[in-house]
Amino acid sequence: MKTTILSMILVATATFGAIAPAYAHDADCPFCKTKLVQNTETQDNEVVVKFGNKKIEYRCVYCVFADQKKFSGDLIVYAPSETAGKPIILKRTAGKWSAPDGTVFLNTFKRHKDCAEQSRTFTSKVQLEKYAKANSISNAKSLTLDEMLKEVAKK
Amino acid sequence: MKHYSQSLAVTIAIFALYGTAFSQTDHGMHQGMKGMDGKNTGLPTPPEQFPKWMSNKTSDHLFYKPAPYNWSIRNIPAFAADMYGTGVGHGIAYEAMVTGKADRMEDSIHRSIVGVLMNPPHLPIDEGAILPTFKRKYGSLEKVFDWAHLLHFQTIDVLSHKGWSDEQKDAEIEVLWQRYASQPYAITGLPMNMEVLDSFSYSTTFRTKYPKVNALFWGYHWLQTANYDMLYKTPTNTHIPQYEVMGDRYRNVELFNTDREFMPMTGEMSPRFSKRFPYIANSFDNLHMLHDNVGDILATDSLTEAQKKEQIDIAIWRVLGSTHLGEEPGKGEPGTLHDHRYPMGMPGMGWMKGSTDEDMYMSGMGWMNMSECGHCSIALPDGDQWGATVSADGWTMMVRCMLCARDMAGETIGRAVIRAATEDPNQTLVMISDEEGNWTSNIPGIMFLEVKGDHPECNDWSRVFTSKSAFDAFVKSDDYYKDAMPLTLAEWQTKGEGTPETYRRIDRPSPYKTKGDGGAKN
Repeated sequence: MKTTILSMILVATATFGAIAPAYAHDADCPFCKTKLVQNTETQDNEVVVKFGNKKIEYRCVYCVFADQKKFSGDLIVYAPSETAGKPIILKRTAGKWSAPDGTVFLNTFKRHKDCAEQSRTFTSKVQLEKYAKANSISNAKSLTLDEMLKEVAKK
Repeated sequence: MKHYSQSLAVTIAIFALYGTAFSQTDHGMHQGMKGMDGKNTGLPTPPEQFPKWMSNKTSDHLFYKPAPYNWSIRNIPAFAADMYGTGVGHGIAYEAMVTGKADRMEDSIHRSIVGVLMNPPHLPIDEGAILPTFKRKYGSLEKVFDWAHLLHFQTIDVLSHKGWSDEQKDAEIEVLWQRYASQPYAITGLPMNMEVLDSFSYSTTFRTKYPKVNALFWGYHWLQTANYDMLYKTPTNTHIPQYEVMGDRYRNVELFNTDREFMPMTGEMSPRFSKRFPYIANSFDNLHMLHDNVGDILATDSLTEAQKKEQIDIAIWRVLGSTHLGEEPGKGEPGTLHDHRYPMGMPGMGWMKGSTDEDMYMSGMGWMNMSECGHCSIALPDGDQWGATVSADGWTMMVRCMLCARDMAGETIGRAVIRAATEDPNQTLVMISDEEGNWTSNIPGIMFLEVKGDHPECNDWSRVFTSKSAFDAFVKSDDYYKDAMPLTLAEWQTKGEGTPETYRRIDRPSPYKTKGDGGAKN
């Protein structure tokens, strides 16, 4: 019975899918209200905040830090690194942020249309510079976690 | 080339004549051309004759149908007070606009309305006490408003009433609708083309001039439309805890949301109720659009007093049931006053700006197809296993299964409410989560089935049962699940599967405006 139903759905999807795709609500970043950028095969883009049982997606690490007051408890942030599938894990425990040794932040964007590309996390300064060069990002500055947090607080 | 030019001229002349003839016969609609903003440059023309009651000076006062459920809204005291508060806002604004105080709208008038909404009355307020001047000028409009507001409140009373079955409540709401629709002041229950009703030369004036006060209006229209799914077929003992979440959202976010692109629609905010009672949902939306039309007309300085009176009469006439007698939902000439198409899967909502046959755009929610699950994009089920609704972040979406409900809520900031079908059609599960996604349930001892498979069958492999024995009976009846282990609420709520492989999104801009890039860093 299940196979029959599934077959019917697949046939219907094949028949109508091309002209009537299924759409659901599409998400914007909770902070900058700009469209989330999905991961690709070669590069992660989704920044995921784990808060209790919830997993909230943001567009960039800047947006997470800027929006952190919305969350009262501890946070775990899965931030894209230079390697797809290997996020850098940032933590906010009892209000204090921490990151793995060597973690650096890029944060050069002026407008949020560029934030997903220009507000990112890397395992080292070398990797940040490599990314900046590959993406023609001028004035790329490597920030520590504390410097990044101060940068966000200034805005 | 010359021959071609002559043919073109003749064609243009024919279309011009056709256009003139059309504008003369489609009364209550546009006269003139569309401007750069898509709005029509001329004013709508009146019908050959308005219904006689519109010029009747008698009060024609109607009141509640006598019934045991009357005032049951007071079983949810905070909700009752907030709803009573909503009866004040438009009245204060309308009175200000007809007494020369519109220049204070965004400061002292705004403060005054906020003051009432934040400290709402504990008894219903007679609008006549708030807008005496307006009522003398626009008495027929007040009759339409009063009659529709009464339907609003009595429907809520039925749903809030303790001691009646869902079947009794359904039947009584049908009776209320028939009673409402039998009066000449009744607004049509047909879906109307919202883009058409919001495209007159005066349209959008109020929200443009007075965005803060308009946010209050649309904020309480959010409350007035979102409450029905909170109440519909949910146990009455869940109403107060559900309203604790909804009321908090209403008072702290929705009233002050100036980013909304269009008024909240009942089908958007209460999809389950709207599917069951599409004519009521449509009449509420048409009522709210009439409110917007009236605000826009009164806020348009270029209109004379006589023009304002005539345009408000036309706006009333446009949405009356008597204007659309014999017409049917799903039919009508597209893009006209008699366009009664509705979005796929939602007969309780009019045609929205930018809609296609498959999808439509809802402000704050994006593009969607209302016949499909908001999480996995597979067609929604019908019948007793109707799936669930998720209310979070100001929206309510229908989903196919408990996994879709949990994961959709789990990807959204803030508290959430899930209302879901169980194996017992007479027991609706209501679960409320805290900020961290920890859920509480109105039914103790619930058990979940979650044997992950493909999403086209998710409403089969992801379910909730009211007890362990009900779970056992189900898995025993289906060999496919013979090894399935029940999950307690505590176990179930920690799971999460991410975005389903079947989920599809559409990257199309809002038909209302282009918001740009989200602004600078600060």
